[in-house]
Amino acid sequence: MIKAILVFNNHGKPRLLKFYQHYSEEQQQQIVRETFQLVSKRDDNVCNFLEGGTLIGGNDYRLIYRHYATLYFIFCVDSSESELGILDLIQVFVETLDRCFENVCELDLIFHVDKVHHILGELVMGGMVLETNMSEILLRIQEQEKLEKQEAGISAAPARAVSAVKSMNLPQQIKDLKLPDLPGLSNLKNAF
Amino acid sequence: MPAVKGDGMRGLAVFISDIRNCKSKEAELKRINKELANIRSKFKGDKTLDGYQKKKYVCKLLFIFLLGNDIDFGHMEAVNLLSSNKYTEKQIGYLFISVLIEANSDLMKLIVQAIRNDLMSRNPVHVNLALQCISNIGSRDMAEAFANDLPKLLVSGDTIDFVKQSAALCLLKLFRNSPDVMPSPDHASRIVHLLNDSHMGVVTSAASLIEALSKRWPDDYKGCVSLAISRLSRIVTATYTDLQDYTYYFVPAPWLCVKLLRLLQNYPPPEDPSNKARLLECLEGILNKAQDAPKSKKVQHSNAKNAVLFEAIALIIHMDSEPNLLVRACNQLGAFLSHRETNLRYLALESMCLLATSEFSHEAVKKHQETIINSLKTERDVSVRQRAVDLLYAMCDRTNASEIVAEMLTYLETADYSIREEMVLKVAILAEKYANDYTWYVDVILKLIRIAGDYVSEEVWYRVIQIVVNREDVQGYAAKTVFEALQRPACHENMVKVGGYILGEFGNLIAGDQRSAPQVQFELLHSKYHLCSIGTRCLLLTTYVKFCNLFPEIKHIIQEVFRTDHNLKNPDAELQQRAVEYLSMSKVATPDVLATILEEMPPFAEKESSLLAKLKKHKPQVEELESVAQEKKSRPQAVMAQDGGAVGSLVDLDHSAHSEAAALVDIFGSPSTTTTSTNNTATQPTGEPVVANKDDYSKFVSKLNGVLYEDETVQVGCKLETRNNLARLGMFYGNKTQTPFTDFKPVVVCPGALSVQLQAQAKPMDAVVAAGTQVQQLINFVCVQEFNRTPIIQVSFNYTPTSGQSTHFDKFLYLPIFINKFFEPTEMTSETFFARWKALGIPSQESQRIFIAKHPIDSTQVNAKLTGIGAKLLSDVDPNPENFVCAGIIHTQTQQIGTLIRLEPNKQAKKYRLTVRSSKDAVSKYLCDLLADLF
Repeated sequence: MIKAILVFNNHGKPRLLKFYQHYSEEQQQQIVRETFQLVSKRDDNVCNFLEGGTLIGGNDYRLIYRHYATLYFIFCVDSSESELGILDLIQVFVETLDRCFENVCELDLIFHVDKVHHILGELVMGGMVLETNMSEILLRIQEQEKLEKQEAGISAAPARAVSAVKSMNLPQQIKDLKLPDLPGLSNLKNAF
Repeated sequence: MPAVKGDGMRGLAVFISDIRNCKSKEAELKRINKELANIRSKFKGDKTLDGYQKKKYVCKLLFIFLLGNDIDFGHMEAVNLLSSNKYTEKQIGYLFISVLIEANSDLMKLIVQAIRNDLMSRNPVHVNLALQCISNIGSRDMAEAFANDLPKLLVSGDTIDFVKQSAALCLLKLFRNSPDVMPSPDHASRIVHLLNDSHMGVVTSAASLIEALSKRWPDDYKGCVSLAISRLSRIVTATYTDLQDYTYYFVPAPWLCVKLLRLLQNYPPPEDPSNKARLLECLEGILNKAQDAPKSKKVQHSNAKNAVLFEAIALIIHMDSEPNLLVRACNQLGAFLSHRETNLRYLALESMCLLATSEFSHEAVKKHQETIINSLKTERDVSVRQRAVDLLYAMCDRTNASEIVAEMLTYLETADYSIREEMVLKVAILAEKYANDYTWYVDVILKLIRIAGDYVSEEVWYRVIQIVVNREDVQGYAAKTVFEALQRPACHENMVKVGGYILGEFGNLIAGDQRSAPQVQFELLHSKYHLCSIGTRCLLLTTYVKFCNLFPEIKHIIQEVFRTDHNLKNPDAELQQRAVEYLSMSKVATPDVLATILEEMPPFAEKESSLLAKLKKHKPQVEELESVAQEKKSRPQAVMAQDGGAVGSLVDLDHSAHSEAAALVDIFGSPSTTTTSTNNTATQPTGEPVVANKDDYSKFVSKLNGVLYEDETVQVGCKLETRNNLARLGMFYGNKTQTPFTDFKPVVVCPGALSVQLQAQAKPMDAVVAAGTQVQQLINFVCVQEFNRTPIIQVSFNYTPTSGQSTHFDKFLYLPIFINKFFEPTEMTSETFFARWKALGIPSQESQRIFIAKHPIDSTQVNAKLTGIGAKLLSDVDPNPENFVCAGIIHTQTQQIGTLIRLEPNKQAKKYRLTVRSSKDAVSKYLCDLLADLF
C-alpha cells in the first residue's frame, strides 16, 4: 500500500502532496523536509529504494523515488508492494502527465494542481494501484475533459464571457510572467 | 492544444504567478494572507457565488495549502460543491475534501450523505468520484456506512468495468483500515471469480482485494488459488502481443503477475497435482524468460520483467519445496549481484537473505560469498551495503563464520556511522554462535571493541565477560589477550572495563609471567584510571580490591590508591563508598575472610543472549530471519552451552533470570545500568497495582473454576463459562467472619489497552454480605480483539475482626480471563494440521520457547492441562507419538484467530519445546508465554 506520494523540486518546494492517511499540515511539511533531506543528497546512479524516514511508517516502509530533471517523484510504500513495480508506476505517472500536458514541465504541475490530482486519481486510489495501463488512463482523462467542456459550454458561458472581457490578452500575460528557467521533463525517456 | 491544459481559471493563474514573483518569504506570506482574506470575505458575504467561482477559490485554497499554510475555512463550501450536478464542480469538491478534511471532521455526516447520493447515481463517473473519495478518506465512518453496499456493487452484473475496478480497491481500503466492520465473506465465491474477468484492470484490482481478504478468511477464498494459477499461466505463456494494452514495454501485464504471485504466497503450495504442475511451469517460464535476450534496451523493460521475476522468486522461497527452482533462483540472483543496475543488486541481496534460510538453497547462496563480500567493499550506496551486511549475517554458518566475521570486522573500520552499532551486534552474535574455539571469540570481541569501541553497547561487553566467566578453558587466554590489548597506547574505555573485570577475576592466571606480574598488571590498569568515567573507575576499584586477594604482595600499593584524596573524598558517592569500604576491608579482614568475600564470580545463568534481543528490537526483520533459521535448520542458538564444553554445569536455570545482569551491575556499581535486564523482568506492567493472587493465578489458564483468593476473612471463588467470544464469570464471595461485610464493592478493571480489547460488565451487588454467607456476582466479558493482559478485580469492604477494630479490606485480584478462554476446539487430520501449520509460516506468526519442566513429564497430566486450555488436543497427528499438538480458533468480536500449538517433551533433558503458531503475531507470543508456565 502506498502511504504517500510526494513531488517536490530540486529545492525541496512541494509541487504535489498526496497523503493516503491524515497528517496535519505541519506534519506534512515536516515529512516533505525530511524526505527532501534524504533524497537530495543521493547521487543519481545509486539505487532508487531508500529506508529511513522516521515520520512516515517506520520499519516496514520504504521510499521509492525517481528524479526527473527538476523534480523528485517519491512514493512511500509498505512491504506489500513490489519495489520495481512501484518504480514503473512512477514512470507511468510521469509518462501520463507528459501526454496530458505535452512535454510536461514543473510549471504545469504548479498551474494545474487540480488536474494533476485528477490524473493521479486515475492511477492510484486511496493508496492502492488502480490502473497501470496508460491508454486506459488517458481514455478516462479524455472523458473527464469532455464532460468539463460540455459543462463549460452550457452554463459557464456568462461567467466566462465576463472573464474573457476582463483579460483580453491573457495568454500573452502568462507568457510575460518572469519565471525561473525550468528545463522540460520531456527528455525523461533518456534520463537513465 | 494539449488535452488537459484547457482553459485555466484566470484568477488562479494570476494568483500563482504573483506568488512566484514574490521576492521574499514575507512578501509571499503577505500575498497569501491577502488572498485568504479575499476568499474568506467572498465565502462569507457573497451568497451568489456561482459554481465556477467556488471552484476557483477552492483551487486557490489547495494551492495555498500546498505551500505549507494551514487552511481553516472553506470546508463547507467544498462540501456544497459535492451536491452540484456539474461534474467539474463535484470533482473539485471531492478533491478538496480528500486533501484537507480530517477523518473526524464534523462535516463527515454531510459528506457521507453526498457520497451516498453519488453512489446511487446512474452516471458512472459520479459513482467513481464517490468511490475515490471513500477510499481516500477510508475512515471508520466510511466503512460503517458503505461496508454493505460496496460488495454488492462489486459483484453486480450491471456495474461497468471501471466502476468495479474502483469498487474492489475501495473495499480493500476499508477492509485494511477497519477489518472488523467488513461483513462476513458472503460474496467470497463471486469475488474470487472476478479473477476470471475479461477486463484486466478489474482482475488486477480484484487480485489486490483477494490478497487481503484471503489472509483473513483463507478457507472461504481457497478457490482463488487455482484461478490465480490459471490466470498467471495464461499471461506467462502469452506472447506479448496478446494482451495489447496491458503489455508494458514488451512485458505482459507485469503488475497483475506480481499481484497474483503475491496472492499465491498466502497459501501453501497447491496440493492438486495438475495445479501444482501448472504453477511450477509458470515459475519455470518466468525464470526462463529472465535468461532471454531483452526485447528492449529500455530500463522500463528490464524493470517490469524483473519485478515479476523477484516476485516469482519470493513465491519459490515461500513454497520452499522445490530444490531445483530454489537453486535456479539463487543462480539468477547471483547473476544480479554483479549487474550494473544498482536497484537489481539491492533487490538481489535482499531476496538472497531469504534464500539463505532455506535448507535447499543455503549452500547455493554460499557460492556467492565472494561477490557479496566484494559488494560490501565496493558498493557506493549505503543502502546496498546494508543489504550485503544483512545477507552475510543470514548466510553465516559454522563453515564460513571465521571468514565472514573477519570481513565484517574489516568493513566495520570504514562503515557508515548509521549502521555501525547494528554491525557490532551482528558480529558479536555470529562470533558467539559459531565459535568452535572460544579463544577466537575473545579475539573477535576484543578486536570489535578496539575498532568500534564507541558502538559497542553494554550488552556486548557484558556478554564477553559472561562467556569468559563461564568457560574455564578460555580464562587464561582472555586474561593474556586483554592484558596485551591494554598495553596499546590508545585504548577504548570499554576495553578498560572488560580488561578490568577479567584481570580482576583471572589476573592470577598470567601472573607467573614476569612481563605480566601482579604489579605490572596493576600499574597498567591504573595508568588508564584517570582517563575513565566514574562508572569505570568504580569497576576498577573492585578490580583492585580483588587484586588484594589474588596478589597480597601488592596490597600496600593498592591501599595507597584507595587512600588518595580523589578516591576517599570523591564527590561521587558510589566511588567514595567503594574506596572507603574496600580500604577498610583490606585492612581489617583476615586473608581467609578476604578470600571468601572476593571469591571468583560464580558462572552466570545461561539464557538466550541478550544481544539477540537487542538486535531484534533494533530490526524486527532480523527476528523473522532468526526464527525461520531456527525452525528450518535448527541452527545453534546463541547459547554456547550446547556444544558440550569443558564446564559441566553451564546450564543453571535455578539462578534467577536477573542474576547475570545483576551480578554485573553490582560490579559496575551504577544502578542505572539495570536497564539491561528489562527484557528479563516479568511482564508486570508499570502502574498496575499489587495483585494479591499474582503468584498462582496462572493455574487458571487451564482451569475453569477454583478459588481465586482466600484468607481468614474472605474466600473468593470463580466459575467460568465461555462461548465464542463471550464469557460469563460467576464470582463467589464467602464471608468467613462472624460479622457482616459492609460497603462491599467489587470493581472490575481492564487496565490500559485492555479496556478496548476486552469489555467487562459486572452486575451490581448488595453492599452488605451477611456473616458466614456466600454471595454470587456475574461478570460478562466480550472479547473484542486479542489481548495480552489480565483483567483485575478490586475487592474492597469493611469488616470487624474478632479483635473488635473495624478494618478496611482492599485487594486486587487477577481474574481468570486469558485469551485461550475464547478457544473453539477444532478437529483436524494430520494432513490439514500440517498444511495449516505451514500456512502460518510467516516467522512473526510463530512463537517458540524451550524451557525446563516444572513438573514431572507425565503424558496424562499434560493431556489434561492441554485439554483444559480449550484447544482441541489432536491425537495421531504428530508423527512422533511423544509430542502433543492442539488446534483451535480463538473467537474475538472482530475476527477469528486460527491457532496451532505443538508441545515437544524431551524426557531425558526434562525440557519442553513449545511452539505456538497463530494468524495473529501477538496471540502466538502471549499464548506461548502463558502456556510455558503450565508445564
